[in-house]
Amino acid sequence: MSKRTSEAARARIAAQREAYRKQEQRRRITMVVTVAVVAVVAVGIGWWSVAQSRSEELAGDLSPVTVQSDGTVVMAKPGVTAPVVDVYEDYQCPACRQMEETSGATLKNLATEGKAKVVYHMITIFGQEPTKGNSLRASSAARCIADGDKWLAYHEKLYKNQPSESVNGFTLDDLVKWGKEVGVTDSGFESCARGQQKTAEHQEYSNKILSAQKITGTPTVMVNGKPLDSNTAFVPSALRDAIVNAAKG
Amino acid sequence: MVQLASGSRVSDRSRSVHLVLSWVTTAARLVLGGVLLVAGALKIGAPATSVQAVRAYELLPESLVQIVGYGLPVVEIVIGALLIVGLLTRVSAVISGLVMAAFVVGIASAWARGLRIDCGCFGGGGQLADGQDPNYLWELLRDFGLLACAAWIVARPPGRLALDSVLGLTGSPKPDEENDGPDDAGDPSSENGSQGETS
Repeated sequence: MSKRTSEAARARIAAQREAYRKQEQRRRITMVVTVAVVAVVAVGIGWWSVAQSRSEELAGDLSPVTVQSDGTVVMAKPGVTAPVVDVYEDYQCPACRQMEETSGATLKNLATEGKAKVVYHMITIFGQEPTKGNSLRASSAARCIADGDKWLAYHEKLYKNQPSESVNGFTLDDLVKWGKEVGVTDSGFESCARGQQKTAEHQEYSNKILSAQKITGTPTVMVNGKPLDSNTAFVPSALRDAIVNAAKG
Repeated sequence: MVQLASGSRVSDRSRSVHLVLSWVTTAARLVLGGVLLVAGALKIGAPATSVQAVRAYELLPESLVQIVGYGLPVVEIVIGALLIVGLLTRVSAVISGLVMAAFVVGIASAWARGLRIDCGCFGGGGQLADGQDPNYLWELLRDFGLLACAAWIVARPPGRLALDSVLGLTGSPKPDEENDGPDDAGDPSSENGSQGETS
């Protein structure tokens, strides 16, 4: 190899290295910009997801809540008969608890605003222990409360204290204690709850709902008899829209 | 100087094998990315159900349940989209592989513990009603398949039709020029060029 060609080769290598260095620099900048853009987009999507699914705050005094003779509970302003929002729940069902936490305030607000007649149907969807027993004990105790407002407070209390699906929970002692905590003063409550006097009544109602096969699981929210999918029931803004639109149509 | 295999003359046959393999990567990207994107999109609008689905596995503490429930759909959408367009391909494939591995562990453990839950993979999820049976085997097979896609992409990124190539973000900056023939001077544009630069 002559000296000239080796010099030329060296120059060529130097030029290549310089070009490569520049390219590496460009690559690094592109990488940083790309990662930054992706991060911003990810945060944006997350923010949107949280914002559009935010729960409502309770506004104003609750509309009257009345316990019916069949054990269902109606929450509506006097004279409001439509749209009917039927809520089928099980005290032991974790998804029901999640829905109450997410959308419970929306249902209450809509009732307060006179935009819906909300009807709670408590059933026992579970067929195996310990969930079945937990559900039956809680449902039976809740049926011992005749006052609507106290029932609603108890309903919330039970969800807040919902046991895991793998343990025995909703003990009679707790059920009685929680009743007193939400202000149940009725002297018959303790013996009714402790004696599980309403279990048969609850089971009868629950079986009636399940055998009608209108619902496939809990929670189910129906507006004028039509079930909402969970992307509506679990998204407060969508739930509100669905119910308000049902009132118009 | 390191002589790369790709730097030597490549026969037509191995070149076409190479081409086929990189199209396989593209297919794997589309399958894995498509599934992730759909799974995330179906969940993102109702994060409360996503939180509930995560909780139903009874594996994570409550604080993490919230984070995973809200975060997972976002991760799925972003990673899915990145895989489809072939941007940050290898990193995305690694993350999706880890996510799939976590799904496999979660579903297998739910099965082993006798939980009767819907995997919540595409929204919904949680406790199943009586009379409905979980389909853990199918869910596991599907996730193993997707895990294999992720592994393939990690091994051979970014495949054809990838933004990584367009933007020059691939490991070898000049992939097309490496096949030009033997270059005894030690082509600095090869993958190991940076070693030559620092020495």
